[in-house]
Amino acid sequence: MADRAPVAVSGLAVLSALGRGSEPQLAGALSGTAAFGPVRRFDVSGRRVGVAATLHQAGSLADELAEVVEQACRDAGLTAAERAATPLLLAVHGHPAAAADAARLAERAGLAGVHRVYIGACVSASTAVADAAVLIGRGADRVLVAAGYLVDPDQFALFDTGQALATDGAVRPFSAGRTGLLLGDGIAAVVLESASAARNRQPVAELVGWGRAGDAYHPCQPAPDGSGLARAVTSALRRAGIAPDELGYVNAHATGTVLSDAAEAAALRTALGTAADRVPVSSTKAVHGHALEASGLLELAVTVLALRAGKLPVNAGYLGPDPSCPLDVIAGSPRPVGSPYALSLNSAFGGANTALLVRAA
Amino acid sequence: MTAAVTALTVLSEYRWPERPARELPVLPGYVLSSFSPLVAAAAEGCLAGYYADEQAAAAPRDRTAVLLVTAGNDAVSAEHVHDKVAAGRRVGPLFFFQIAPNSVVGQLTARWGLGGPVVCISPVGDPLADGLAEAELLLADGDADEVLLICAEQAGTPEAGTPGAGAPEAGTPEQGEPVDRAHALLLSRGQMP
Repeated sequence: MADRAPVAVSGLAVLSALGRGSEPQLAGALSGTAAFGPVRRFDVSGRRVGVAATLHQAGSLADELAEVVEQACRDAGLTAAERAATPLLLAVHGHPAAAADAARLAERAGLAGVHRVYIGACVSASTAVADAAVLIGRGADRVLVAAGYLVDPDQFALFDTGQALATDGAVRPFSAGRTGLLLGDGIAAVVLESASAARNRQPVAELVGWGRAGDAYHPCQPAPDGSGLARAVTSALRRAGIAPDELGYVNAHATGTVLSDAAEAAALRTALGTAADRVPVSSTKAVHGHALEASGLLELAVTVLALRAGKLPVNAGYLGPDPSCPLDVIAGSPRPVGSPYALSLNSAFGGANTALLVRAA
Repeated sequence: MTAAVTALTVLSEYRWPERPARELPVLPGYVLSSFSPLVAAAAEGCLAGYYADEQAAAAPRDRTAVLLVTAGNDAVSAEHVHDKVAAGRRVGPLFFFQIAPNSVVGQLTARWGLGGPVVCISPVGDPLADGLAEAELLLADGDADEVLLICAEQAGTPEAGTPGAGAPEAGTPEQGEPVDRAHALLLSRGQMP
């Protein structure tokens, strides 16, 4: 039995290099058509790798965030009065003006103001979603969570010098021969509500569980046994009150890096037990890239869209099984949804791990 | 001064800079910037004494969260990287992980065996107040039984003078000096009346 009331996902909007809006995300995720290409947004001539997934003619992060937040509010059908009572939780790259930028975003959208700004690398957005669920569980009617990252020269240079970027122009999660990650644009926003606040709306999904735990292992490497992520998954399942074999899909964090993907596979084996043999898994980073601070919300959005479409995304770029990743990877073509429950996982430097569990509405 | 906390119990507390002042200890693997050494020193100062107690040391730490609150983040590293990139020069590989605030949190969670949630936020108001509110939320959520809250700001940032970053009280000799400041608190749920 669930130990928390479900949270309604009442509105959703998303953007990535696959395109603007839900349709291109779903089309790309289901077909496995990757959006990677040569970076033209800035000079990469001195870099080891020159590929990323960047949206053509992207505006500034502030403008793109404002547009996506506006779309999410419209998707949920929020009135001006409802917006004015809705706080913003924002996940972005940390910088001294982050809070001021968040305040301007809230003002542009007519929201109640900024409740929190999350800067914890690749679990920023998923942490914001978990916090939003806690706030709603403690009495808040509604929260808007937004997250944004547009591929930029500084982060690109850092991932390049860290030799984290794929050298063959493709992200191959859980695959033999994978060589690393590729960065990608990602902006997303969701309106989360209590059941009572959402009673006159048709939610797109429900957030039924979440979990967070740390590896206590290393500044930038995951624990090889995936222990922290496993505890996060177990916590999410417990909150939802479901068993591992009730899961129908895992949208994995899997970045396409050798160590991280193997650690995530170990985490899923630990948390799901023998159900890990049967739960379909894919990482949509293979098509939209790694959106860093925004990845958790972008991937949650793609997961929700897939559940609604009744089809599970392909794990693009897959060349064949890697013995260190013994999972039921969705290779080749999308599969039909077999259960309404899906997990979206994220991990970050510092051994930070999150698990978000959604149910199709 | 111990922070005024009602819904939380302060198990241990520490502020940097110490009196008398001393240099930040070197943190192996981190270069150029004082940010990560500052965060690590704050954790050390808060936890070393607390875990010196046998009973505290024996207690499980896999549900101890770490919450880092910083407005300026690692501004020195960020500026260094930005300048290098703008000039078309290579960036040192250590900055790949050093520039992410989670990185030093991973260093200290490994050092102290803290396996709870890892959260980094930029304050929207008073850093300490934001940090305490987020810590209380994490404890209420149930994935953590304790929270190590660290508010940290490097010298030269406007945020370094804010109370939550561990700024000295008015009238002390240190007031106004451009120094790195941090305030660490180990927190648990408050006692029910």
